[in-house]
Amino acid sequence: MKDPYEIYILEPERISFSRGPGGVFQGVVDGKEYEEIIVHRAFPFLYTTQFISVRDAKEEEIGVIRDIAQLDEESRTEMERELQFRYFLPRVTRVDSVKHRTDLWIWELQTNLGPTRLVMRNLHEHMQFPGGSRIVLTDMNGKRCEIGDWKALDSHSRKQLRDVV
Amino acid sequence: MPILDQLPGAIRSALPAEPLFSARTDLLNDGLFGEQWLTVTETEITVWNVSGSPLTTIAVEELKDARAVSGIGGGTLLADTASGPVVVVRYTAALTSIFGFAAKLLSSIAKGEERPTLSEKELPQQCPKCRNPLQEGTQTCPVCKNNGKVILRMLGYAKPYKLQMAAAAIMLIITTLVELIPPYLTKVILDDVLQPKNTGSKLMWIVIGLAATSVTMAVMQTLRGLIGVWVGSKLMGDLRRDIYDALMRLSLAFFDRRQTSQFIGRVNSDSEAMRQFMTDGIIWVTGESLKMIAIFAIMFNLSWKLTLLALLPMPLMVVFSLTLWPMIGRRWYQQWRSIFRLNVLVGDSLQGIRVVKAFGQESTEISRYQAANQDVVRNNIRIEGLWQGMFPLFSLVAGAGTLLIWYYGGWSVLKGEISIGLLIALITYLGMLLGPLQWVSQMINWASHAISAADRVFEIMDTPSEVPDTRDPAVIGRVKGAVQFSNVTYGYEKHHPVLKNIDLNVAEGEMIGLVGHSGAGKSTFINMICRFYDTDTGHITIDGVDLRNISQTDLRKQIGVVLQETFLFDGTIAENIAYSKPDATPEEIMRAAKIANAHDFIVRLPDGYDTRVGERGHRLSGGEKQRVSIARAIIHDPRILILDEATASVDTETERQIQEAISRLVKGRTTFAIAHRLSTLRNANRLVVLERGKIVEVGTHEDLLEKEGIYFKLVEAQKEMSQIKGVESA
Repeated sequence: MKDPYEIYILEPERISFSRGPGGVFQGVVDGKEYEEIIVHRAFPFLYTTQFISVRDAKEEEIGVIRDIAQLDEESRTEMERELQFRYFLPRVTRVDSVKHRTDLWIWELQTNLGPTRLVMRNLHEHMQFPGGSRIVLTDMNGKRCEIGDWKALDSHSRKQLRDVV
Repeated sequence: MPILDQLPGAIRSALPAEPLFSARTDLLNDGLFGEQWLTVTETEITVWNVSGSPLTTIAVEELKDARAVSGIGGGTLLADTASGPVVVVRYTAALTSIFGFAAKLLSSIAKGEERPTLSEKELPQQCPKCRNPLQEGTQTCPVCKNNGKVILRMLGYAKPYKLQMAAAAIMLIITTLVELIPPYLTKVILDDVLQPKNTGSKLMWIVIGLAATSVTMAVMQTLRGLIGVWVGSKLMGDLRRDIYDALMRLSLAFFDRRQTSQFIGRVNSDSEAMRQFMTDGIIWVTGESLKMIAIFAIMFNLSWKLTLLALLPMPLMVVFSLTLWPMIGRRWYQQWRSIFRLNVLVGDSLQGIRVVKAFGQESTEISRYQAANQDVVRNNIRIEGLWQGMFPLFSLVAGAGTLLIWYYGGWSVLKGEISIGLLIALITYLGMLLGPLQWVSQMINWASHAISAADRVFEIMDTPSEVPDTRDPAVIGRVKGAVQFSNVTYGYEKHHPVLKNIDLNVAEGEMIGLVGHSGAGKSTFINMICRFYDTDTGHITIDGVDLRNISQTDLRKQIGVVLQETFLFDGTIAENIAYSKPDATPEEIMRAAKIANAHDFIVRLPDGYDTRVGERGHRLSGGEKQRVSIARAIIHDPRILILDEATASVDTETERQIQEAISRLVKGRTTFAIAHRLSTLRNANRLVVLERGKIVEVGTHEDLLEKEGIYFKLVEAQKEMSQIKGVESA
């Protein structure tokens, strides 16, 4: 019997994940099959591949994975993909431009998922600094991008960022 | 059915008929940015790539249900089919609303229910011209908007003072013209008096002329300064008033999403920046540009060749200004943001000072502050440094013109082409030109500072209230208090409804107890009655009049609230009780306090009803504050009363007193009460049990106990708890 007030850590050898024919993330946990599994990062900023809360389609927690590196290869790949889908947070690889047009700040960005554009009403409510040189950008519609370490970007990007960070 | 974006021709021609619905996604199914199209017809759901070839097709008869599963920053449209769930499309958060609608539509098709219609709220708000997102509730695109409008709008504030401003301007013109006289007089002295050794009375007269100009200038400058101060202070006052008005007018939803301490800085510093621009800035600009024109005119008259020489460095300065302008604006904003972060930090830790002290975290707070402080210092150095560097540079460039005149002008004098007086006059005029030119950069500074401040200020003013007052409100007078909810759905974020399809009919004078787990939607329920938020679908009526048709002032007159967190304003107890009725007599105040069981403890206070409460004043206990707030509700004499966990966190005796007070208060009023202690709701005529935003049970205490449903379980659970407590205290 599970203690309902204890975090249930899933043993890596007792779980496996895959993708169903319809493209939905699914898996087997402790011998039980789940047609649809939802994953949450417990610490989306700090630990992106650790402490993953695994939930069924009704969002009831099945358990927590300590580190997805412990999973077998297929499970890990699918888990990583699923996390990327659910936490849509493209990583910025280059900042093409940051322009200020009257009331809007328009960011033209290159990300690991392709080029995109963010539009913000102002900077002070749409830029977060979770620590170090990381920046999380959120646009007016809730679309987000992440800059891992702005000081590590190329010089053009750094130049664009210097006056807005 | 509405079609949002024009479906590409290739896809349209591949379809047998006009689709029921089509929409463009902004992600590919592997999560990369890209475009796909979703079309829905009576028989199938198809996803297309941009070139018009189908990627996935799901037959409608296989479809069982559809859902929009929202992730963070994006979402997925899922179809439940006979063979399990299928990912239809993925999209970023920008398109959440439209695919939320798609899910509703697909679900209704699958289940054969009535199909939903697309409401305006579900369309992505985009400017048709530039595809940039629009603010909710506005149709003007900020990007396509005219840039000069901010300045014009700012100047609108100066309008009421146009007379004074005109007077200042006239004085400015006079000063400027007078200022131009001395160099000319110098020329005359040199050429007509000193060189020809003219010993007549001419020298005397010229010196008197010089003295007269000095006196006129001093007088004019003083007067203008006084007018400037007067207009400036008035302007500041007007601006502050408007910002505060705008803040008060905004709906609760606006404040839910923001830290409130930021507004303190905005109201004060942003209005100051705008004031500076409008009074000092505008006056200087007009004055200095006037001066420039006049100087050029005189110089050209004296010697156009030399003047042209002096003008050579000008283009360089213009280029300088143009490149530096945007950079300075950004750095000002950066500086503002770092101060803003610092203020938020201070506000936060001071508000939570008890927690800081209790956990002994003073040193952590100090180091957090230190880090933010360093940021401010760094940005300050950057902007001020840039500024300090610019000034000498400008002088240097402008000075180059003087050197040219000295050289070529000197030659001309030697060759006898012009007189010494003329050369000296030219050089003096050119020196005077330097001033205005330096002001160009100061002006850049002021203007960009002011425009960014104005941007932020107008942002607040332009945010439309999410609960707008109707233009033509119904006259309701004193209502009876019958409240009706018809099919009300509401979510703080549109796609996570907190209340779902609520139907409830409350007769006048009835007391309704709202029961449910935390997060069931109880507080949202009462927020809807106060119209802090507007329903997404359905409507609420009071005496048969839709809430939206009642002006908010009228509505609030009818509604009284006693909230979980009692908030007393800075002021005396009497003022707090009479908050909604400032003209209440002392007797009325005492009567209200008596009914609220507050009279006795108030009188026992050394300062009685004049005791100062609020942030700095006398500190009342939780139960005492609670009773003062009940008295406040009593004096308001509302027809509809809302009690939100009024007895939370007080001891049993105080609870009894509050209970008593409340039972007197609810008499004859329609009441909605939330309480965790179910015993306190025993007097309610009906109990409404909410679970996950839906009404699951309605009935009296006894009815519901008999039913042995959710309410029964809640009561049992509480009994158990109180037994445990009983054992502990025994």
